[in-house]
Amino acid sequence: MTVRLRGPGLERLLNNMVERDILLQGVQRLTGDVMIIRLKVKDFYRLRPLLWGTQINVSILDKHGAPFLFGRFRLRVFLAVGLMLSLLFVMYLSNFIWFIEVTGNQTLPIEALKATVEELGLRTGVVRSTIEPSTIEGELLKRFPILAWAQVRIKGVKVDIFLTERDGVEQQHAGPGHVYAATDGVVTEILVLRGTAQVRDGSTVRKGDLLISGEYYDARGQKQFGAAQGVVKARVWYEGIGEEALSRWDPLPTGIRHRQYAITIGSITIPIGPSYPRETHLQSEKKWHLSLGRALVPLSLGRIDYHEVEYIKALIPREEAEEKAYDLAWESLLEQGVRKEQVLKERQTVDFMADGDGIRVEVLVEVLDDIGLFLMH
Amino acid sequence: MRPAVNQTLKRKLAHTLDLPPVILLDQATIHLMGDAEAKIINHKGLVQYTGACIKARSTQGMIEVIGNGMEIVSFSSSEIRIAGKIRQVMLK
Repeated sequence: MTVRLRGPGLERLLNNMVERDILLQGVQRLTGDVMIIRLKVKDFYRLRPLLWGTQINVSILDKHGAPFLFGRFRLRVFLAVGLMLSLLFVMYLSNFIWFIEVTGNQTLPIEALKATVEELGLRTGVVRSTIEPSTIEGELLKRFPILAWAQVRIKGVKVDIFLTERDGVEQQHAGPGHVYAATDGVVTEILVLRGTAQVRDGSTVRKGDLLISGEYYDARGQKQFGAAQGVVKARVWYEGIGEEALSRWDPLPTGIRHRQYAITIGSITIPIGPSYPRETHLQSEKKWHLSLGRALVPLSLGRIDYHEVEYIKALIPREEAEEKAYDLAWESLLEQGVRKEQVLKERQTVDFMADGDGIRVEVLVEVLDDIGLFLMH
Repeated sequence: MRPAVNQTLKRKLAHTLDLPPVILLDQATIHLMGDAEAKIINHKGLVQYTGACIKARSTQGMIEVIGNGMEIVSFSSSEIRIAGKIRQVMLK
């Protein structure tokens, strides 16, 4: 508790107090005859006899700490019970899995993974102790041969699934099949590891053409049918198109601002105050999430600032627009799987768009690529 | 005269036994942490306390800490912890 001492000879009183093993904290001298000290409740009662015969007055300024807090809760039973219940509820909720995050799946579809882990008992809302990471890891590796490694790690209310996929050539083929052309191209090199080549260097192939047959004759001259394997390199052409406007509408703030608050509970958001259209207002948002240690509470407060803007038309130089369109065309090529270091030749054509307000860049690249695609029979 | 003789004897004993004099002579120890905190151990009582000057008694004499905005963080029979801007520590 914090008490105020007022009167002459305060230093002597302090000395008397510490002689009786009373620990004083936060001793502040306000004026020549006033001091503020912090001491324990039991020591406060031991202070009274020391004041006899002195002219010092004592008054309590504040009561704080655990004894007073519990004393207050004794009077507010329902508040204490409510706090305890909510604490127990949060502790109870922290026994469940609320988040599952998968990283490392490049080609493996997330839907297939989700269905599998759910079948193995891992889904949001399950009790944490029922999850067996090693079993799930083993099953994932067994069910998805494309996976080279899988790790399931439980971290509080979250499960992280880390995956690593095999590279193309290393993939294990489960049964017999052929290698087909994944895209159009001109074959430049063919290396057969198993099976019989159906094309030769210089052959022009269309998407879906048979490249390596799974049928072959073994050392004893007997016809076999297995999983065809090999590398078929071909010159392949890819086309990427990028378009960019020769003018743009730049937002110019008018200086008028509006503020809105929003409370989010789970998936429900309750706005406090009016909203403004995105067409005429730029938005900046700040969110505060409520969290209790490791447990995440689905409650957050958001503040949205709307800045009113007017749009002004600005012209873009042709070189700048052409550069951007070229970058967009290359983005399209990258999305098709083209890597810049593969490119043997590149051709670019630039056209104005019909309305004259835009530019169009077509990039045609020739790359050397492995076009073999194994398909089971 | 008698305390002085006692002190001399204790000092000689400490020297002979190769013990730190602080233990036998009941001397005060002052720790300074930069210029923001001071700790006086084994004091013999507080004499004066203001924001600019704190005086404490010890067997060696009066310890005087001078500074600005000083405050006693904790005060017990063995130790005084002082926080604030400390400018000077004197033994008088």
